[in-house]
Amino acid sequence: MRMKSDRVPSVRTRLLTLLLLPAVAILVAGTLGDYFTVIAPFREAYDQALIDTAIALAGRVVSRSDGRPTFFLPPDAAAILRRDKIDSIYFRVSGPGGSLIYGDADLPELPGTGANPVRGSVTYRGAPIRLVSYRTLAGSALVTISVGETLQKRNRAQTAVLTTAVAVDAAELGLILLLIWLGVRLALAPLGNVAAQIYRRSARDLAPLPIERVPIEIRGVVEALNRLFARVTRASAEQRRFLESAAHQLRTPLTGIQAQIELLIDDEAEPARQERLKLILDGARRLSHTTHQLLALARSDEAATLDRKFEEVDLAAVVATVVNERITSAFATGIDFGADMDPAKISGVPWLLAEAVGNLADNALTYTPAGGRVTVRCGHGPAPFLLVSDTGSGIAPGDRERVLDRFYRGGNARGDGSGLGLAIVQEVAQLHGATLAIDAGAGGEGTIVKLQFPDPEAGTAV
Amino acid sequence: MRVLIVEDDPLVGDAVRRALESHGYAVDLVASAEAAGSALQAESFDLAVVDIGLPRASGLQLVRAQRRRGAMMPVLILTARDGLDDRVTALDLGADDYLTKPFQVPELVARCRALIRRANALSSTQLAFGVLRLDLARREVSMDAKAIDLTHREWSILECLILNAGRIVSKERLKSAVVNWSGDLTPNAIEVYVSRLRAKLVGAANIRAVRGMGYRIDAHEK
Repeated sequence: MRMKSDRVPSVRTRLLTLLLLPAVAILVAGTLGDYFTVIAPFREAYDQALIDTAIALAGRVVSRSDGRPTFFLPPDAAAILRRDKIDSIYFRVSGPGGSLIYGDADLPELPGTGANPVRGSVTYRGAPIRLVSYRTLAGSALVTISVGETLQKRNRAQTAVLTTAVAVDAAELGLILLLIWLGVRLALAPLGNVAAQIYRRSARDLAPLPIERVPIEIRGVVEALNRLFARVTRASAEQRRFLESAAHQLRTPLTGIQAQIELLIDDEAEPARQERLKLILDGARRLSHTTHQLLALARSDEAATLDRKFEEVDLAAVVATVVNERITSAFATGIDFGADMDPAKISGVPWLLAEAVGNLADNALTYTPAGGRVTVRCGHGPAPFLLVSDTGSGIAPGDRERVLDRFYRGGNARGDGSGLGLAIVQEVAQLHGATLAIDAGAGGEGTIVKLQFPDPEAGTAV
Repeated sequence: MRVLIVEDDPLVGDAVRRALESHGYAVDLVASAEAAGSALQAESFDLAVVDIGLPRASGLQLVRAQRRRGAMMPVLILTARDGLDDRVTALDLGADDYLTKPFQVPELVARCRALIRRANALSSTQLAFGVLRLDLARREVSMDAKAIDLTHREWSILECLILNAGRIVSKERLKSAVVNWSGDLTPNAIEVYVSRLRAKLVGAANIRAVRGMGYRIDAHEK
């Protein structure tokens, strides 16, 4: 889980973050802008109506003969002026020094600034109102006409404008987010395809990836991969040639040495010298056995890197080969060596399977005394398997894991083993997707080594 | 019996030559496919033992060329490689048997003897197997000039085993060798014939059962 927090964010997350956050900011700013642009003329219009009223009232101010201004409004007109379905209208006419001439005595008036009329927002009778104060001269006297109005209409208009703007902009925002998300998804799909292609292919598949449909941004990566595949293929072909030539170069002189010693032993009359020659022959045989196993191990490593060479293998044929090649020495040691073959087929490398089972059979024949039984079996139940059972000395439970290590030899090891046999079996098992199990035989006697292959019908075959 | 050995490694070539000579074969040893071609053109051989890994032309090319010429002598291939591909190719090209290096000398001699015996069975009616003498035309067998009395079925089994000497012969194969002489046979019947045959061949040949596989005959050599 800690891995996850250390992870570099995916390209998709980065793209979405980099596109969506600014898009949201821009759209919110746009909504606010829309709102203010639409609301300003509304305010202006309502203010203008108040100003018009103030100017109209100013026309009703007359200067009396004593110079004091007076105001007259017929009651009907006053009623009309104050009549409004929604808002309350207030007004006041005052003379010099703020003396009330007409109207609502407690209505405040805005102090004169440079502008005429002056507009402002004040609180009146516990509610916010919009107020206009207009100054005019009646004769030589300064008269101030103030008209106020509560904010119901303005608020309603504002709410209406805001609701519409927010609704439209929210829809727009949603649509754009959806398009960005879809766009990012579609744009990144080819990346996902390439990744899936690499993920799905077999580990042994070294064929180059198709480059035509790969987007330019990751073409370099795919080309680098293809170059790597080509290099591994070349290296593996070179290794194969090397191993084949090494096999030939090592085995031929070993064959000659062994055969010459065998012939010398036959010719030698003196028992002491014959004994020494036999020791040399033993050494030469051990050497060629180890050489053979090292080459087999190296070649199974090599086969593991390539898909080629896998073919349908009849396990019964593998068992028959193994028994045929060893029956002479089994006859010589007096071991009941036999087979039990039921039909079973897998996909694999025949000679490596024969090598693996051959090693198991060699082990069994080495650790089984004369009169014992060694059986090589194959069958299909429930999946294909190969096994070798013996009535020999067995492998201690604690040793069963370690005997698979290269060059490890068990506590009661004997014979001319190199310690590579079971490592080869393990290697071949892995190559074929098989599991290797070592158990005691029936009644705890001897050993059973089983290679269980995946069921080809279950689709888990290699 | 004349054997041609084609092997470029002097150590191996010398060992094979000595081994076969000590068993009474007349042996010619050459070190290349070209020299082998000349030798085969000049004289006739009863067997060729050919190494695959020769310089220039390979042993496989030699075998193919000889088979194209119509040469019939049996060929035993020696190979230092463990891949089955080569062996299959060798058999496809006309080789009769193969032996993987390193091999043991008795194994080599046994294979050579079996190949010559099988080839002779095709060209002559007389066959020697250890101390046994078989007359394939008259279906008779004798040991030390003394005839052994066999039934038709026993004879068929013995013939099949001897022509495949050194190899395990399955019960099915033996059954099909016998089936010409009867209608139906159970595997148990084969066991019965084999045990009768064993009793009649004591001192001449050894027929051993290989559990789950079949039988193998080995000669008691003189």
